[in-house]
Amino acid sequence: MTSSPGGIGARTLRLLRHPVLRRLAQAFFVAFLLMVFAFLLIRLIPGDPAMILLGDEATEEDVIAYRKLLGIDGSIPSQFGRYVANLVRGDFGVSIRSREPVLSIVGKRLPVSLWLTVTTIVMTIGLALPLGVAAALYRRTWFGHAFQIGASVMVATPVFFSGLLLILLFAVQVNLAPIAGYHAGFPANLYYLWLPALTINFVLVPVLSRILQSSIVETSSEEFVEAAIIRGTQGWRFYWRYLLRPSLAPTIAALGYFAATVVSYAVIIEIIFNLPGLGMTLVDAVRNRDYPLVQGIVFLSGLLVVGLTFMADLVNGWLDPRAKIR
Amino acid sequence: MIDAANLSLDRRQAVGIVGESGSGKTMLCRALIGTLPRHGAKIVSGTVRFDGQDLAGAPERVWRGIRGREIGYIPQSSLAGLNPVLTVETQLVESIAAVGSMSRQQAREEAVALIERVQIPRAEQVLKARSHELSGGMRQRVMIAAAIAQGPKLLIADEPTTALDVTIQREILNLITQLRQELNMALILVSHDLAVIEEVCDEVMVMYAGASVEAGPVAALSKAPRHPYTRALRVSRVDRAAPGRDLEAIPGDAASVGSWPAGCRFWPRCGLADEACRRDSQPALMPAGEQLSACIHAERMAEMEQ
Ligand SMILES: Nc1ncnc2c1ncn2[C@@H]1O[C@H](COP(=O)(O)OP(=O)(O)OP(=O)(O)O)[C@@H](O)[C@H]1O
Ligand code: SF4
Ligand SMILES: [Mg+2]
Repeated sequence: MTSSPGGIGARTLRLLRHPVLRRLAQAFFVAFLLMVFAFLLIRLIPGDPAMILLGDEATEEDVIAYRKLLGIDGSIPSQFGRYVANLVRGDFGVSIRSREPVLSIVGKRLPVSLWLTVTTIVMTIGLALPLGVAAALYRRTWFGHAFQIGASVMVATPVFFSGLLLILLFAVQVNLAPIAGYHAGFPANLYYLWLPALTINFVLVPVLSRILQSSIVETSSEEFVEAAIIRGTQGWRFYWRYLLRPSLAPTIAALGYFAATVVSYAVIIEIIFNLPGLGMTLVDAVRNRDYPLVQGIVFLSGLLVVGLTFMADLVNGWLDPRAKIR
Repeated sequence: MIDAANLSLDRRQAVGIVGESGSGKTMLCRALIGTLPRHGAKIVSGTVRFDGQDLAGAPERVWRGIRGREIGYIPQSSLAGLNPVLTVETQLVESIAAVGSMSRQQAREEAVALIERVQIPRAEQVLKARSHELSGGMRQRVMIAAAIAQGPKLLIADEPTTALDVTIQREILNLITQLRQELNMALILVSHDLAVIEEVCDEVMVMYAGASVEAGPVAALSKAPRHPYTRALRVSRVDRAAPGRDLEAIPGDAASVGSWPAGCRFWPRCGLADEACRRDSQPALMPAGEQLSACIHAERMAEMEQ
């Protein structure tokens, strides 16, 4: 095999400049920052966490042992070195409360949150897409005005309020959903998830469909839309190729972003609906000052967010080449 | 409302429309393909006759059969006329396939032929490209290809050379002239540049403030204009004026919609204006010399020539 080093260099360089790789590098960078953040989380708490957790009566040995357990013994750089090495090996420490490895706790709770996220996003797409399109096409009719008002009201409604309202309506009045609780296993779990997902969508759908609406309206004044009409393009081709597709980029970017916020919405939602997901676990962990668990959840759910944003970017690059050149 | 735009042309004829920015050239062209844009613009009176068929009040269904198929249209600012998310091929195939049932393969071959017809080298590569990967001249050629995709009888080109380099302008004009002969199409060419129209067209129509003010054979208008505005245009010779710019050599500003004066709309800028011009409404086109003029003092202009 004889290939000139120059050739390889050029090819590698070109590959490195590939947008997908650049995004990936960005994602890794963000993940790294996240790791540092999670690391600092325990260390920035005023006072000595070990002392706080053990109380005044703790012996010197207890405190030292506890510091070791929390990974806060030794110098900061050496702590960081151990922390990174452990993470790379998949060791996130153990929960102070249950002494169970953080990773296994997260492994048990994460699926619930993931299912909630996926259900929510599928529902978001299913509702926001037709609504946004309709709101753009009929924006000068009564529907458009009703949409504007309805969307504003819905966005302004706090999640806990709309959640309770929906529970009252769908779980108490008509028996279409449980009041609370969860059972694992698809598709049975959808029965428990659709109402929480709808609650989150009370905020997401209005926001996203409005973004979509305004970008469709913007697109519709583009010269190429006019040119397509003049050329005689009609039917689904016209709507999909000339109005919808060029308008999707901002909506998908926002969807990626909101998919990320679903994780933090999950905290409230999981409490309202008593879903045993990551959000609920996080709240418990904070209440119990279970620092390793908090650290692990912050880092892992952050990773999830980074992954979702990355995926949204990929979809965008595929749908709209303009997004790629930027 | 476009006043007194009397535009008729036979097959193989080329008519030019010239006038300052905002004089309603685009409006007139759009009326001709039944897509008057935005804000409920509509033809208040008059007829649009194509192949003996009156289209002015025709339903959308009829227009659809006309657009692209009978009348090809190169829109103004067509440099932004290509969909940035689609390839050239997708858009060309779409323009072709609008004709009827045609296999993918056939449509593709047709697209290649079209690209070659508008003299773009490396057709395969350009078909795969998207708008932002093409130069202005290339985009304009693609737009022309899309306009002639279905072999229309009439081609309307709305300022096809503005915003292009001077050398490219020439190429595009040559291309349009050549295609017109090859495909046996009539042509309506809109331009700011009277010189361009004199070169390419047989007939010319001068527009001012939404009205056609002089119309007739190119030679007649250039030899003996019978409307002061036309003469001002000729004298000022604002070749390749940027769109939206005023003709500097003509005193005063071009009247914009809504601020059209009573009487002849040109009077505030006209050297021949008198009481009569201010009093009546916009004069209609009347025979004057070999052409039609909307100036009540057209005869005085004829005397001045001598
Ligand atoms: N006859 C008319 N009746 C009503 N409105 C008119 C008329 N002519 C022009 N307008 C108005 O003037 C505006 C400019 O007209 P138009 O775009 O046709 O000008 P143009 O001659 O094509 O200018 P440009 O050289 O800048 O392209 C239009 O948006 C339209 O609203
Ligand atoms: S009618 Fe009067 S104002 Fe109008 S162009 Fe003729 S001379 Fe000038
Ligand atoms: Mg125009």
